[in-house]
Amino acid sequence: MGVWDHVIAGVLAVFQSDPILGVPITVLMVLTGFLLGITVGATPGLAGPMAMAISLPILISIFGYSNDALLPVLGFLIGIMKGATIGGAVPAILFNTPGTPDAYMTTLDGYPMAQKGEARHALRVAHFSSASGDTFSDIVLVLCAPFLAILVESYLDLPEKTALLILSLAFIASVIGNSVGKGLISMGLGLLAAMVATGEDFYPRLTLGQPALAQGIPVAAAILGVLILGEVFKALEDIHRDGQSSSTTQVGQRESKNGPFRLRKLLPYIGRSAVIGTCIGALPGVGSTLAATLGYTSAKRRYSKSKEPNAPGFGQGAPEGIAATEAANSSVSGANLIPVLSLGIPGNAAAVFLILAMDSIGGFNPGPSVFQLGGGISDDALNPEMVMAFGIFTTMFVANGLNWTIGGVFMRSVGVMARIPKERLLPIVLLLTLTAIYVQETSMVAVWITLFFGFVGYFMRRIDMSPLPFVIAFILGGNLEATARQAFAATGADPFFLFNNPIALAFIILAIGVVIFSMRKPAE
Amino acid sequence: MKNTLKATATAALLSVVAATSSFADGHAWAPEGPIKMMIAFAAGGGADTHARLIAEDIEASLGWEMIPEQVTGKGGVNALVALKDMPTDGSAIALVVTESLGYNAAAAKGAGIAPSDFTGLTTTAGFQMGVVAKADKGWTSFDDMIAAAKEGELRFGTMSPKLSDLAFLLGEAQGVEFNIVQVRGGRAVMDGVQAGDMDLGFMAGIQGKGVASGDLVNLASALSVPLKQTPDAPTFADLGVQFSADGYFVFVAPAGMDPAARDAITAAIAEATNSGKAAGMINKAFGGAVNIQGAELDALLQSDFDAAGQLMEAVQ
Repeated sequence: MGVWDHVIAGVLAVFQSDPILGVPITVLMVLTGFLLGITVGATPGLAGPMAMAISLPILISIFGYSNDALLPVLGFLIGIMKGATIGGAVPAILFNTPGTPDAYMTTLDGYPMAQKGEARHALRVAHFSSASGDTFSDIVLVLCAPFLAILVESYLDLPEKTALLILSLAFIASVIGNSVGKGLISMGLGLLAAMVATGEDFYPRLTLGQPALAQGIPVAAAILGVLILGEVFKALEDIHRDGQSSSTTQVGQRESKNGPFRLRKLLPYIGRSAVIGTCIGALPGVGSTLAATLGYTSAKRRYSKSKEPNAPGFGQGAPEGIAATEAANSSVSGANLIPVLSLGIPGNAAAVFLILAMDSIGGFNPGPSVFQLGGGISDDALNPEMVMAFGIFTTMFVANGLNWTIGGVFMRSVGVMARIPKERLLPIVLLLTLTAIYVQETSMVAVWITLFFGFVGYFMRRIDMSPLPFVIAFILGGNLEATARQAFAATGADPFFLFNNPIALAFIILAIGVVIFSMRKPAE
Repeated sequence: MKNTLKATATAALLSVVAATSSFADGHAWAPEGPIKMMIAFAAGGGADTHARLIAEDIEASLGWEMIPEQVTGKGGVNALVALKDMPTDGSAIALVVTESLGYNAAAAKGAGIAPSDFTGLTTTAGFQMGVVAKADKGWTSFDDMIAAAKEGELRFGTMSPKLSDLAFLLGEAQGVEFNIVQVRGGRAVMDGVQAGDMDLGFMAGIQGKGVASGDLVNLASALSVPLKQTPDAPTFADLGVQFSADGYFVFVAPAGMDPAARDAITAAIAEATNSGKAAGMINKAFGGAVNIQGAELDALLQSDFDAAGQLMEAVQ
């Protein structure tokens, strides 16, 4: 069976899933997720990963663990991921409050435009750029992920794979957050948590004799604790400290004066930012906020050279500024699935939840084996994982289609979300998270563990340590240990397996190099 | 006082109901609530799939509510530890392999489990455990592979400590040394062999399609009997190894289970493995259902547990 058979089967898997109200369930889930994503993105204080985290256990309890559950659940999560990025621009433009961190740069030109009465125009620019960047990034994903996976599988042996994982972790720890040292500590803690009760031995290690830990720390409990509860605790404390929630809900002037929509002027900015965002997205650990910043600054440089004399400058309401930011932050979402699908390495919080979904439901193990022809069995069999991968691609394009068609309309109606006060919102998030954990694990122990990791996440934020390296290391820890053990065994118990062949050695040197290089940077 | 009376009356009424219903069970036992089915293997693999199909078949034919749930890790020991203290009324069962109660229970001393802690229900299928390599290695027989192993070290993929021991003994008997790479699950061995990370490995039935299409080769049977698919391949006994990887998927319940429940659930599972969707899958993946039950199963589990010590000594 050739590649095209898999593509067709993947597309069919989406469109021929059980219909509900005449719509295939997977498509319906993408739509629901997408609308929820825009709403959540438009709500300051909520972010896409938060909504993904809370929906995942609930979705699993609805759809179960069967193979049929994978595409609807992943479709929903992908919908949220894509919706949240464009939703984030709405309050940024209307109220000068970014709905998601990566929309901060959008406020710089979006809000001035809204003040000038061009809010509608600004939203249109944001939507068009966002949808273009997103589509571009997805096309790159579909073209690159399979080839990268095949390259990895044919050139990398077990020692090299171990070295590649070490390199990814080193890279992630170095580039996330402001301090390499804190990044490394965060990563180390994640690896430590991943070590509890795992390994090959029959005796559960590091459990302090606690039977509750004998099966290891529940993955969802640790991740939701650190990422969601930590954020909630920190935000609650901020509100408490500031007295009232900082009511930044200034109402922009929303006269529907329609500025000229000059596509030809915007396209070069969108194109450049889409390329920047896609490249950034393909690197694990560097998120959409950096992509937005880079896209914006590079566009600013270009704009200052070529701008018409009486056009508004960057920061004064230039549509090009919005276009550059939104195209860059949206084009991250497709490309960040390249390392997920081809290597099994999550690059950011959204990817973490996609991997978590694949792990929990089962039947799909992201990594090089996904794109093996012949299903690893024989040449005339479909590889179910590859079909699933193309099914995932299809859901992404369905989400894009929705984005182009109804995204813009829906986006204009969610501005009201920015007025929900945080002190009402956060307790709801807290309750939903704990409920979701209980639904999935059905044990109080899991709830206590979640709360424990919530405080871990809170303290990490207090000392300005990014929790993301923790989470990514926690997810990759088991994989790293297993690959390292296998590499050690396969090389006939050679303790220097990481240094004995050129590719592995190069990866290790790069890993050390990236840490040293990042440590030096702030001093300059 | 009034409350106590009420409580006593309710209790009395309930016990009458319970008594009558258990009397009725003499004919046809049925669970009072859902049956929790713990599966000791990762979701999506062959073991998991056949367990879930069995659950579906039972729900369809008997109307019992089955709740499959993954309790993975430590080669089935985690599931057994979780099952051990569950109620004995048939509301909790687990799918493990005979090896979980044999070698793995014996090796996991800290877990404190032994066959006597459980009631065996029935096996569902045996492993067609072969030593398998990719056809494009150019080996058509076991001897070709050994000749290659003498030229340079080969990587031998396994999926459990017991199989790693067996691979070691096989190398010892044949005068070669394998680099034994232990991974999680038969699917991982197959992926490793396909991708070239390993040169050969144990596969317990998953190789069937590949062998049929000529992409994979069964070099030897790791069983005490020849493989159904490749009867000409030598068995471990032929190759000088006195132990074998004979094993089965087996459903167990906690010790001291109500005999009526044991009989009813055993019959339900056995029925499902021989008809319906589960049977089709078992035929394809494991070469047909094998239902060892009752005293015969008890003896099998105990002897596996006892034999584990000998194997562990042999590799010392």
